[in-house]
Amino acid sequence: MPSLLPEGATLRCTGSGSAIRVVRCLGGGGQGQVFEVAFAGEAMAVKWYYPSCLRRDPQLRDRLAACISATAPNAAFLWPILLLEPDEESRGRLSMTEGSFGYLMKLRPPQFQPAVAHIAGRLSISLQQILRACFHLAEAFHALHSKGLCYKDISLGNLFLDPANGAILICDNDNVDVDGSDLGAVRGTAGFMAPEVLLGQSRPGSSSDLFSLAVLLFRLLTRHDPFLGRLELAIRCLDEPARRRLYGEDPVFIFAADDARNRPDPAAHPAPLLTWPIYPPSLRALFEQTLAAGARDPAGRAFTGQWLQALSACLDQRGLCPHCGQEVFPEPGQRSRCWACGAELPRFARFLTPEGAVLAQPGNALHHHHFDRLAGERLDQPIGRVEAHPRRAGVFGLTNLSAHTWQAELSSGERVPIPPGRSCSLDALARLHTHLGSVALAT
Amino acid sequence: MFPDVRLSRRPLHFIFLCDCSGSMRAGGKMPSLNQAIRQSLPEMVQVSLQNPEAQILVRVLRFADQALWHLGTPTPVDQVLPQWRDLEAGGLTAMGDAFRELAAVLRTPPMEQRALPPVLVLISDGAPTDDVSEGLRTLMAEPWAAKAVRLAIAIGHDADLEVLQQFIGSEPGAGGERGSAGQGLDGDRRPGTPAERPGRRPLQANDSITLARYIQWASTAVLGAASQPRSQVGGAAPDTNVPLPDLPPTVLDPSDASQVVW
Repeated sequence: MPSLLPEGATLRCTGSGSAIRVVRCLGGGGQGQVFEVAFAGEAMAVKWYYPSCLRRDPQLRDRLAACISATAPNAAFLWPILLLEPDEESRGRLSMTEGSFGYLMKLRPPQFQPAVAHIAGRLSISLQQILRACFHLAEAFHALHSKGLCYKDISLGNLFLDPANGAILICDNDNVDVDGSDLGAVRGTAGFMAPEVLLGQSRPGSSSDLFSLAVLLFRLLTRHDPFLGRLELAIRCLDEPARRRLYGEDPVFIFAADDARNRPDPAAHPAPLLTWPIYPPSLRALFEQTLAAGARDPAGRAFTGQWLQALSACLDQRGLCPHCGQEVFPEPGQRSRCWACGAELPRFARFLTPEGAVLAQPGNALHHHHFDRLAGERLDQPIGRVEAHPRRAGVFGLTNLSAHTWQAELSSGERVPIPPGRSCSLDALARLHTHLGSVALAT
Repeated sequence: MFPDVRLSRRPLHFIFLCDCSGSMRAGGKMPSLNQAIRQSLPEMVQVSLQNPEAQILVRVLRFADQALWHLGTPTPVDQVLPQWRDLEAGGLTAMGDAFRELAAVLRTPPMEQRALPPVLVLISDGAPTDDVSEGLRTLMAEPWAAKAVRLAIAIGHDADLEVLQQFIGSEPGAGGERGSAGQGLDGDRRPGTPAERPGRRPLQANDSITLARYIQWASTAVLGAASQPRSQVGGAAPDTNVPLPDLPPTVLDPSDASQVVW
């Protein structure tokens, strides 16, 4: 690949004390190329822009500088750290055009896999971790929008995830802009762009971000495009004009309640027909709200906070089918069947907390927001989690992940302390007094 | 676990049309073309991994005294390299025959009812020796040919740029003169000339490095753009059925002796 920065080259930039040594080219995209570099003794990454990109997007430099001074909304963003403008000597030596620049960021840690690998079915990932990744994505947008910023051009290509724990990383943050300031030329990516942006009726901003977020969440949860249903079958050549129709002029959500024209075709679109029914109605309703009615009404789209509530509630509803072991999300108080094997599901034991209910199933966790309505949903600091006994097969306990000693009331009436790091067997547990409040185990 | 569901995919036909006339023997053109194609194959596999919704299928049509399929079966991109045989030069330039042959495979059937836009890459170093107009008419009468992303690479100065331009379709603005082929490319553009998307005129390759760069661009960036939509920049919607991506600027090292000048 013709490289913008030759391997082994040293680059000195105005405003940065240390020189940058180019280690290798990691890849190229539509705007430029990304390199692994050595900077101040540390392995870092640099994105360098094509001159053509800078000509088309003259405000990129100012936007990037604003982005750097705003600092990352949270740890899910691989955020630009430093604007890199080569000094005259480096520019001359490397025959760079005037005005050429790039930015410094951290390297993407190797455990983060491209989200497209999940879409392609190349990752082994649990439903719990995909739901967690969705939660973290909504959380990242929540943090971004809370700072008054908007992303503008989210697509599967910008997203990476860790299949082991659902952590995410959002890359290519150089289109981020102050919401409403319109310091950018980017419109977005067809298939992820809100219809009004695709049609050129408005510029991307936080409300079009909410549409793109819903598309991305839908694709992660179903491995399918929310607008590719029967209407797509009438299209022979799927090109830009066809996409303009599907995603802009007449966007029909494949599961829209009031418009059945674009339902998935069992032969052509098997994935959404299998995956959509897995999830609870409360979560599916937000997709309906944002991708059906919200396709025409930007003000009606689900907010990031609603996604956080619905996704964390879905995680709390997660159980394991006793017949096939698959992850299921039964509605409380209703008889349900396993989506995978069809067996009738039992009534799972549940932890009842002051502000919620969590199935007492392996891997499920108790969080601060289960005790305090005002705490806000977070998944990164669980206070307890259901874990398997290290030696006795089939025995599960609630592990105290907090720094406080809890008191457990056993079904025998006995009270026992549960110090940090220790677990209490679910078979014996009746009620638990944690530092945040009481938890009853309802069987 | 996330269920093992089948992804909805559309086929994307990528077809190289390679001039294998006797003149391709001169100046190491044939080995350079073989090398350029061989080197792009692993990168095409990467593009395919990044675009799971496109089922990329590769074919190679060679033309000399007549058009012959070098790789005639639509072959999944990851299976091309293990069975790759180098192209050999010798004979005339039956480009018209190649267009007719191409038209026959773009007809439905054998072409699928539903697909992504095909990508057709024509590489030539000379003037057609048969009835190219009739061949081109036959080709362009096929809807899939009209919908295809058509790129042309001229090797050296004897290529018939007019025919290559006719293959691509009329150039934007229609003000271009023959000698300007290959301009308007990012990084190659003269200061002051208006920006133009690359690929709308024949790409001029006068050395092996430039040839490799164009083949690589066609088989990666353009292939990716035809596979799934790319990020759009600018106020207006694209005016083509597949907006072509920028060509990465060249970093030419004039002291590099391996650059064979034709």
